[in-house]
Amino acid sequence: MRSLSAGPACALLAMGLASCSIESGTGYIEIKSIPPSPQVALYLDTVKLDPLRNGNALLRHRVGVSKLQTEGEGGYLAVLCSIDVKKNRITSVTVSATSRAPRCQCARTGGTDATGSRTCIG
Amino acid sequence: MLWAALLPILLAAPVPGVLAQTEKTPQELRTADDEFSRQLSELKRTFADLSKKFEDSAQTIDRLSDAQSARKEIEELRNDIGKLLGAVADNGTVWSLGSKALSHADEKLKSLEQETRYKQEDRQFLIDRWRELKESTEAAIKELEGARREFAELLRKLQTSEDFIDELLQIREHQRALDVIHTLTDGIRDASEKLKKLLGTIKTPGA
Repeated sequence: MRSLSAGPACALLAMGLASCSIESGTGYIEIKSIPPSPQVALYLDTVKLDPLRNGNALLRHRVGVSKLQTEGEGGYLAVLCSIDVKKNRITSVTVSATSRAPRCQCARTGGTDATGSRTCIG
Repeated sequence: MLWAALLPILLAAPVPGVLAQTEKTPQELRTADDEFSRQLSELKRTFADLSKKFEDSAQTIDRLSDAQSARKEIEELRNDIGKLLGAVADNGTVWSLGSKALSHADEKLKSLEQETRYKQEDRQFLIDRWRELKESTEAAIKELEGARREFAELLRKLQTSEDFIDELLQIREHQRALDVIHTLTDGIRDASEKLKKLLGTIKTPGA
């Protein structure tokens, strides 16, 4: 009985650990802002970013697609663009806040998703 | 059974939100400063190792006549630079410790300015020491900023070259790909030189 229950559990744990190693890759997001000290708060997915020093930040981030967002009117988060992070690569994005609504400019654009949000790639 | 196996791991894992809200004792703050100096020394050792590896890789790449192998070499190099960039990124370990150490020095200076318990000369001695610590921490952070810029630039150069090499290989332009790879070695050697310079300039605060 004991070996029967331990077997699948170990297999599950092994699978879990294996998937951890697959998912553990990290890449980098470089965010620049114009002007260097914008008045907008930026969010990466739902995590609020510290104000950019000298209009520049380089963040380590897990591999995958994340959303760069800003606080819209009424306090809800508005998507500026999606950022596709690849292992050991830098995805660069510039947030232009010169007009009323901040915009995202990708160094390399991968296309737009179903909601019309553009995706920056590294 | 699975939970029984996972429980010790889950219990050992830190809970970020809880840790962030816990008030720091003077001992913990002292440890944060020491930890920054320790991690900085560790990083400097890694710089030295990487500088050597850059030189070796540049030599290897120079000798390679197979574009696929050279591409693999670049990929490995990117992995090494990625690890270093991870430490000095805005949310990286060394960078975060540096910021904490700087905030700590600022707070100490502010509180010492208002301190009335000590004799004037004793208070001034402590203020001067903290000013020195703050200045050396600021200098170390500035150097790390430089390191971050260099690593990011090199990583970008490697990833752009790798993409171009991939494009060339797709159209079977092996010789052109090799030329790009060999030209890249200058950039890698340059990075090695810059790393050596950084090693000389980064001073560990409090050392």
